[in-house]
Amino acid sequence: MENPSHQGNLIIYKPYEGRVTMKRLFLFCILGVMVVGLIIAHGACALELAVADQPLTIQGYITQGAQFSITGKDRYDSPRDLQAALTNVFLEATYTPRSDLKFYGSGMFTMDWVYDIKTSNSEWNRKQFDKSRNEGLYMDNEYWQLLKEAHVTWTPPNWNFRVGKQIVSWGEMLGFRLMDQINPLDQRRGMADVEFETSIIPIWLVKAEYFVPQKPTWMQELGVEFVFNPNVTFIRNQLILGGNEYSGIWNPELDLNILPTPPFPRQKAGHTNLILDKPDAFDSQGFEYGGRIKAMIKDSVITLNYYYGLDKNPVGRVVGATFTPRSDGLLEVNPQIKGYYPLFRYVGATFSREFSSLRASALGNVAPLLRLEALYAFSNTFMTSTNDLEKRDEVRWAASVDWKVKIPWLNPRAYFAISPQFMHQRILNYPSDFNLATPGGKLYENNYMGTLNINTTYLHNKLAPSFFWMRDLTNRANMFRYQVTYDYSNEWRFTLGAVTLDGTKKGQGFELFHNKDYMYFKISYKWG
Amino acid sequence: MDILRKLEKGALLLFLVLTIAANGSWAAEYKKVDHITLAKYKKWVDDPTPLNKVLPYSKVLPPDVYAKLTFDIPAMKKAWEEAVGFKAPDVVGKIAPEIKPGKYTYKDIETMPGLKELMIPYYRDHAFKPAGPPWAVNFSEFTIIPTQQYYYALPIAQATVKNMGKTKLDDKGYIIDDTYQGGLPYPRPAGKFKGQEILYNTVKKYLNSESDDSTGQFKGFNRNLKMDFDGLIEQRVLRVAKRLVIPPLGYLDERARARKEENAILLTYVAPRDQAGTALQAITFEDAKKFDEMYLYIGVLRRLRQMSTTDTQDALGGQDVIYDDNRGFSALTPTRNPWVAEVIADREFLVPTTTDGSLYVSSKGWELKNVEMERRPCWVVKMTQMDKNYVYGSKILYIDKETLLWYLYESYDQKGRLYRTGHEIRTFIPEMGMHSQRFVWNRDHIDLHSSFAIPFLTPMYYMKRADVGLEGLIKKGK
Repeated sequence: MENPSHQGNLIIYKPYEGRVTMKRLFLFCILGVMVVGLIIAHGACALELAVADQPLTIQGYITQGAQFSITGKDRYDSPRDLQAALTNVFLEATYTPRSDLKFYGSGMFTMDWVYDIKTSNSEWNRKQFDKSRNEGLYMDNEYWQLLKEAHVTWTPPNWNFRVGKQIVSWGEMLGFRLMDQINPLDQRRGMADVEFETSIIPIWLVKAEYFVPQKPTWMQELGVEFVFNPNVTFIRNQLILGGNEYSGIWNPELDLNILPTPPFPRQKAGHTNLILDKPDAFDSQGFEYGGRIKAMIKDSVITLNYYYGLDKNPVGRVVGATFTPRSDGLLEVNPQIKGYYPLFRYVGATFSREFSSLRASALGNVAPLLRLEALYAFSNTFMTSTNDLEKRDEVRWAASVDWKVKIPWLNPRAYFAISPQFMHQRILNYPSDFNLATPGGKLYENNYMGTLNINTTYLHNKLAPSFFWMRDLTNRANMFRYQVTYDYSNEWRFTLGAVTLDGTKKGQGFELFHNKDYMYFKISYKWG
Repeated sequence: MDILRKLEKGALLLFLVLTIAANGSWAAEYKKVDHITLAKYKKWVDDPTPLNKVLPYSKVLPPDVYAKLTFDIPAMKKAWEEAVGFKAPDVVGKIAPEIKPGKYTYKDIETMPGLKELMIPYYRDHAFKPAGPPWAVNFSEFTIIPTQQYYYALPIAQATVKNMGKTKLDDKGYIIDDTYQGGLPYPRPAGKFKGQEILYNTVKKYLNSESDDSTGQFKGFNRNLKMDFDGLIEQRVLRVAKRLVIPPLGYLDERARARKEENAILLTYVAPRDQAGTALQAITFEDAKKFDEMYLYIGVLRRLRQMSTTDTQDALGGQDVIYDDNRGFSALTPTRNPWVAEVIADREFLVPTTTDGSLYVSSKGWELKNVEMERRPCWVVKMTQMDKNYVYGSKILYIDKETLLWYLYESYDQKGRLYRTGHEIRTFIPEMGMHSQRFVWNRDHIDLHSSFAIPFLTPMYYMKRADVGLEGLIKKGK
């Protein structure tokens, strides 16, 4: 069970328990001093130390961001003005004592200063955002958050072994996670923070790859990969579980009138208490396996994939609810869900190929590159609108095109990269008399999503504007991200952007976050 | 189970892996000179150490490998003279004979018209001056050295002589691939398609070693000479076709023969941080109509991705080259971006070189120091692009008549403006007959941006397909 606490007759399990101690705070301060000292001592260069006459290379970056609401409205689920002031300090070290042996470690320190800046802010406290400080949103302090990766890689001829806390990323799509299910995801701080190193959670894995030396001549490359998760620490997807006091600024706005109004005030969904059965460390019930065959055949890259493991999102049944009055006079409904992490098994494939015959000289002579990804999942477990659980097979597939075109009147020197993606999820034998759902929301028999990414560069690649659009076709909802980055120097980068979210189906898709429009600014300093 | 017990179990697992790794046995190859080792001999900046003397290949390579890569010098000289029909020292000295070996500064240009005439116009007008914005890699002085005969490794020279006249062009001047048998295809270019023949020599060049692993500092500068790109790259190049020196000779393997592959390249970014662990694999083909294949392991995504092979005209991130500039020009084929080549000059020029490797960059304005210049017989080839949508409208290349390698290319856009230039300074390893890149620099004349790379390559006699294939790509990636 996860972190139980008792209140009267109800057993409430907080989904996350932060343990901020003076000792940890002291250690973080020491870390901060070390980082600053390293920067001062070595400037922008990677720090290289000699260990047993071999180089130990240390690189890293620091980012400081600020996020501001641009909705212009006073909404309970969204603080006005400053919403986040996130600091990331990332350090990575590589040590290669031999050409076939490499040690790699990385650590990330994340802190949101908004909790300190707004500690006396009446609106922030009235809306209870201050309480989310203790839910891990102020400072990441779980060991698996601070220690990102730690692995050793051994590469004898034809083999590649990697053991330790690592990331294994499958699939062709970016932003959609079809095949990419091995590592959990951290989405507590929003969905537009798509920096890979902050959102993907490395876990303890054993990976072995074999590169087949003898192949038929029609096959350029062939590799076999096996991944095993011994369940050292079971880590789920870190979701937004609702309630200002738990999820902070990303609390979604959802009407949940389960009590009659009147006499009761209107109700909104609050925070979800999870009572979850999860495998203990090294429990074989938490073991996960993955196998992949990679091949390069006639200018195409093809993979065949199999995965057997646990869904990193839980499923469960509502077993109760508490009610909390809000400062805006409404009532917050806090459901309790008792559940577990179901099996997730699939077979799948990916394909990518460029179609060079489709290039056009007038558009810059770059041909589109097609990427496909598909999987068949066996007996997935879904929640239902009747507060039950159902198993169904499902098919997911996605396609994307990477293309570059020259539009001289817009940019005489660089190309525009255009990348649309489309995803379809079909639940087989969808029930006729009730609906299926996941912790993310209602699922239909067919669910469609699309994205479009456009970017280019100016000023000799220093200025990079980009536009990203995610369209939830099923729920008729949108997320737009407008961003420009400027590389002031080799070390300094500035980012300015805005995210808007909307939807037409009440309580579904991005409509839940329609009060979350924001702009952001980030400064990054990297060394190495 | 508390954290300590978890760590105990993890440590045990790691210990087992390390024990196995430590005791594993497999064929041990010699190591390449990496950037750490190189820095012990010569820093990349402000260091005039003659690298060829302190770190000769006789010291870098195991004795048996060194022995296999060295040949009788008189025999190489004789064979190469037979191939090209002359020795460079015999054909230079005709222009401005009063300009003798010795030291010269940029001020001498005004007082010595002969010096002015001998210099390649680009260097004279854009580089032979003191350090200062907007360009890095100016040089305000140089030493003219006596012209020497250059040649190639004996097997390359012999193959060139043996196959002279066998490589044919079609009626439009494009190579008929099956007729090319190895060596430099046109050591004595002539006739209607002389320009094309000269260019094909650079396409089929034997530069560096047939398999080498290099490390290189890579720096970029804006118009104010502020460094805006600080990178470190490693590159493996494996020639897979028409191998003449390192066995297996001919094609590396059946795959190379069946697919008509020409070279396999693996480029890895070691720095800067956000590109570290990214590796690019490229396969080139003997048939120029076929696009290069490219696969990228993106370190930050931990993923292998196929890349567009037709994306050859967009500037590579932060650099002053496009993919098509890597050979000096895009592939010679009638099916895309066709060129028409003509020889517009056949004369001697002073070209930069380094005989002892003492060439270096000064941190004061990024000026190039210890530059040696040598009178070399050159062709000047003008390439005119027939596709009006291509990024370049024309190119001019300065190509050595003896080595058949280019020193400099100037790329002009469709409006006739100078857009980008590329420059190579090589050193020559006499006992190996090897021409090795030691300083490569590029300029973007529209964005006023410059960059340079300082590679040092190690011939890797035992390099295998796996070192540059999928296996190498994954292993070099993050």
